[in-house]
Amino acid sequence: MTSTFWATMLVVAVNAILFHAMPRFSRPDILFAVTVPDAFVAGAGRTLVSRYRAIVWSGAAAALAIGLLLPAFVPGSGRGGWLMMGVVAGNMIVALAAWLLAHRKARAHAVPPSEVRVASLVPRDTSLPGGALLAVGPFAILLSTALLVYTYRDDLPDGPGTITSFLALGGVYVAMMLTMAVSLARRTRQIAVDGPAAAAEQRFRRVNVLVLVLVAYGVAIQLSATTVASIPAFGDTLSGSLGFVLLPLMLFNFGVTFWMFRVGQGGQRAVAPAARQEFHGDATPDHAWKVGGLFYFNPRDPAMWVENRVGVGYTLNVGNWLAWLLMAGMLLAPMIAGRLLF
Amino acid sequence: MSLDLASHTPAYRQIANDLRRHLVDERLKPGDLLPPIRQLAVDLGVHFNTVALAYRMLADEGWLELKRRRGATVIARNAPRTVDRRQADHLLRQLAHIAAELRSVGMSSREISSALRRLAQGARP
Repeated sequence: MTSTFWATMLVVAVNAILFHAMPRFSRPDILFAVTVPDAFVAGAGRTLVSRYRAIVWSGAAAALAIGLLLPAFVPGSGRGGWLMMGVVAGNMIVALAAWLLAHRKARAHAVPPSEVRVASLVPRDTSLPGGALLAVGPFAILLSTALLVYTYRDDLPDGPGTITSFLALGGVYVAMMLTMAVSLARRTRQIAVDGPAAAAEQRFRRVNVLVLVLVAYGVAIQLSATTVASIPAFGDTLSGSLGFVLLPLMLFNFGVTFWMFRVGQGGQRAVAPAARQEFHGDATPDHAWKVGGLFYFNPRDPAMWVENRVGVGYTLNVGNWLAWLLMAGMLLAPMIAGRLLF
Repeated sequence: MSLDLASHTPAYRQIANDLRRHLVDERLKPGDLLPPIRQLAVDLGVHFNTVALAYRMLADEGWLELKRRRGATVIARNAPRTVDRRQADHLLRQLAHIAAELRSVGMSSREISSALRRLAQGARP
């Protein structure tokens, strides 16, 4: 047993666990990315979930068996890691196929789409958590580092040019993260109108926005630390202390991920069934979800972000031009900045 | 508030009607802030201009004050001392059509009268 084998098996196991848990991540009335009645979730839906999970775990077991037995029977088949890559890819394909099959079967039980829309007349808080002051933080970190680099410019063997450009690129990434956070706070539909369901949904969204802000902090701290470490006067002083800053951020992110899985999509699993909204689903039409619920494409929907139907959190409405602008920005801005700066 | 996209009534008019009902019933009071146009449009899944049109309609009627970047605020509206006869006649003609439709679906004149009285007193249909 090589270390590659064990690494592959770990990936296969994590993949199987993720796909196993996937149906639970959705809102309580959405199953395999389809809006279904409560009776179906409690009845035939359970059988569907069991069958889906059986396929997922059979695929993982088959992957394990192939990874274990093939090198013994076919000498040289494990060379170069191709077999293990094939095992992982095969396992993924089986799990995805199981999902698509279950999605197709669930569609036969879909709730007819409703033409009635509801909204609250109370303005909600769409500001960033911590306000502008917290959002300025990552830029302040990068700027302070740039000033430090300028102060010690004579000690740097290659001069301050490349390092300052590196920090400027970091600024572009931070700006992108904060743009995502602002758009997520402002351009997402509030599904539950009032009561505990609405409060849970708003809390869920706010935590997601906060994660994006903290990722911006993580990027700024990481880049600044790398930069400061390249200054001879500070070379070794940061190596041990960086963990004190980044570890809480990482732990927070892990905690949030666990919390999101626990409360379910939109925080609705944490709400008592009686307190949930009367209507079904997440106020998006089933037909607009493509590839088994992976992508949301609805040009008629002004929402830029919608709740994910595969996994927790939010996804972009790829039918919205603003979403394309954001995606293009995410892709092009660092490329253009990198080309201009270096 | 709710909006029925399958209804024959245009979406902007449904939004304005629903808001007006809230205003008349004083569930929305002077000084109350309404959601920004973009927020309400995203929540209802309609174009921003649809909500903007409804807000503008109510602003023209004297219910709302629209301020750039501050959204819409409910303002104290002095009820007109004299009835606008032209507007009232227009609305009464619409009401006559609706009354005829109600009779054609089987409601008696007495039922229509009592339903109208209830509606005039602020009850919901």
